[in-house]
Amino acid sequence: MNENGANIDLLFRNGLKDFEVLPPPDVWDGIHPAVKIKSRPIILLRVAAVVTVLLALGFLTYRWSREVPGRSAESVMAFNIPVTSPVITVPLDKPSYSPVSKLNKVNNSSSVLIESDNQAAIQNEIVPADSPDQILNIQEIKYLAITRNETINGKFLTPSNTSKGNSIKIKYPDLQYFQENIPTKPKNRWSIAAMASPTYYSSFGSGSDELSKQLAAAEQPIVSYSGGVAFSYKISKRVTIQSGLYYSSLGQKVDGINSFSGFRPYDNTKGDHNFEVPTTTGIVYTSNPDVFLSSDATNRIVTAYSSDVFDPKKASLQPVSSSLSQNLSYLELPVILRYKIVDKTIGINLIGGLSYNMLVHNTVYTTVDGNKYPIGDTKGLNPLTLSSSLGMGMEYNFSDKLSLNFEPTFRYYLNPFSVTTGSFIHPYSFGIFSGVSYKF
Amino acid sequence: MSEIKKIIKGCLAGNRRDQELLYRRHAAKLYAVCLQYSGNDDEARDILQEGFIKIFGNLDHYKHEGSFEGWMRRITVNTALEKFRCRHNLYRVDDIDTIQEPDAEPDNQDYAGLEANDLLGIIRELPTKYRMVFNLYAIEGYSHKEIGKMVNISEGTSKSNLSRARVILQRRVGSYTGIKKKVVNE
Repeated sequence: MNENGANIDLLFRNGLKDFEVLPPPDVWDGIHPAVKIKSRPIILLRVAAVVTVLLALGFLTYRWSREVPGRSAESVMAFNIPVTSPVITVPLDKPSYSPVSKLNKVNNSSSVLIESDNQAAIQNEIVPADSPDQILNIQEIKYLAITRNETINGKFLTPSNTSKGNSIKIKYPDLQYFQENIPTKPKNRWSIAAMASPTYYSSFGSGSDELSKQLAAAEQPIVSYSGGVAFSYKISKRVTIQSGLYYSSLGQKVDGINSFSGFRPYDNTKGDHNFEVPTTTGIVYTSNPDVFLSSDATNRIVTAYSSDVFDPKKASLQPVSSSLSQNLSYLELPVILRYKIVDKTIGINLIGGLSYNMLVHNTVYTTVDGNKYPIGDTKGLNPLTLSSSLGMGMEYNFSDKLSLNFEPTFRYYLNPFSVTTGSFIHPYSFGIFSGVSYKF
Repeated sequence: MSEIKKIIKGCLAGNRRDQELLYRRHAAKLYAVCLQYSGNDDEARDILQEGFIKIFGNLDHYKHEGSFEGWMRRITVNTALEKFRCRHNLYRVDDIDTIQEPDAEPDNQDYAGLEANDLLGIIRELPTKYRMVFNLYAIEGYSHKEIGKMVNISEGTSKSNLSRARVILQRRVGSYTGIKKKVVNE
């Protein structure tokens, strides 16, 4: 028997070696939408790129916020007077000191001290100001004289103390220069806004095969929501850069999938899931052993418990629903630019930018009498997606500080939610964000 | 870089053309394996589909050591076993114990004229458990100890199932070759 057994083994081993049978042509159609692509390095590169961009933007924003308001407050800027500044010669034999007096026109103080090379004090007469827009900072004049003291030969500018033949040369920058540097109260460019919106989610499907079209046909978007906090920095009068943290929840309903409860006593499998339902956003895996799924359409569900193996009606399972709901939640990190088209009480902004969305919650459920009955989750989802957004914002300013915002926004996801191939389905959403903004 | 390496690299990069090329090149051979392990065509088709999804999903784990075809075959066989375990745990395969064994060992050892298609037909007529054990032992080369763990049976049961499978196969092969010869002679 052993020899015969070995012979029969050899007969089948050799006979079936290299044997080929062409599979049914539509098998591939069921494979390629479910193929998962593990492109972790690409994701890491993208994350690194986004982090770099955000850090760079953060650094630039910090620099702007530090530099712009502080420039005019620093009197030491007088050291940066250009060497090519005009030289005014004051002949001291004539009681005319137009440059100095011009400088001092502005001062209603009793005297101005200008230090000379011999450390003597130069006192000037009180000269009434001709025009209030030529107010100068005394401190700046003092610095001016110190920095250019090699050109001051005289001791005092008062006529009584001047000697004939002496002259005072004072280099000073244009008055305009001083006028530009008049210290003003720095304006805070930061603002914070809280926004929320109901969103309508759907997708542009360009699946070339029948399966993709079938999947998309059975799916209905459900109303979702999005909301969060945004910080804005006003770069210029019209341009504002905005970032923040948003939370968005979106999903879809998959019709034609019948769910039953009470399957646990019949579930003897050792696998982690019993049913797989392909959808355009990924493959739904059941994790609830009490649930049994069936479909009216053939090949809609991948399972060992096919209709020829298990009949839920014979086993008296309790019907639950005829559809599944997929819910996905994302944390969004946006970088948005706003351009103010109309800057009045009611302002209008053009809004555009990019958001990185991190998947934080993923569940599949069905609804029974208003209660959610958990089924499992969707596999093959991209943990990070990039979306672009474009919108038109209306801004009603209650006061200088407070405004009400109303922003219809269209968002297009640049990469699909799922890492399945062949479907090329890009989700999009439309939301009308509204909220309040406070300017610091 | 060899062609298969290029195709694998393309598959990993998400190139659909390479994925389809990989499938087209190996589907026929793997489908024959699926048919060998399944009792009906629908089941074979499901095994092939699930097997290829696993192959694509685990391509990054393939280290280019050993035969790629052998690696794919092992995944396909494991998928078939998962399906088998799933069904076996749900329903007892009663026909295994009630099946009638041949009365005696066939005398005819002349297997000439049997084609691969005939052999496949014969092997698929075996009861599921016998088919599994015979395939794993005779075709794949696993030991009874390994088969016991894979199919969730004892080593002794594996040996017993193999023995019964061989007897049935010998009988059917004998009948088959006899019929064939008769047809040829007529």
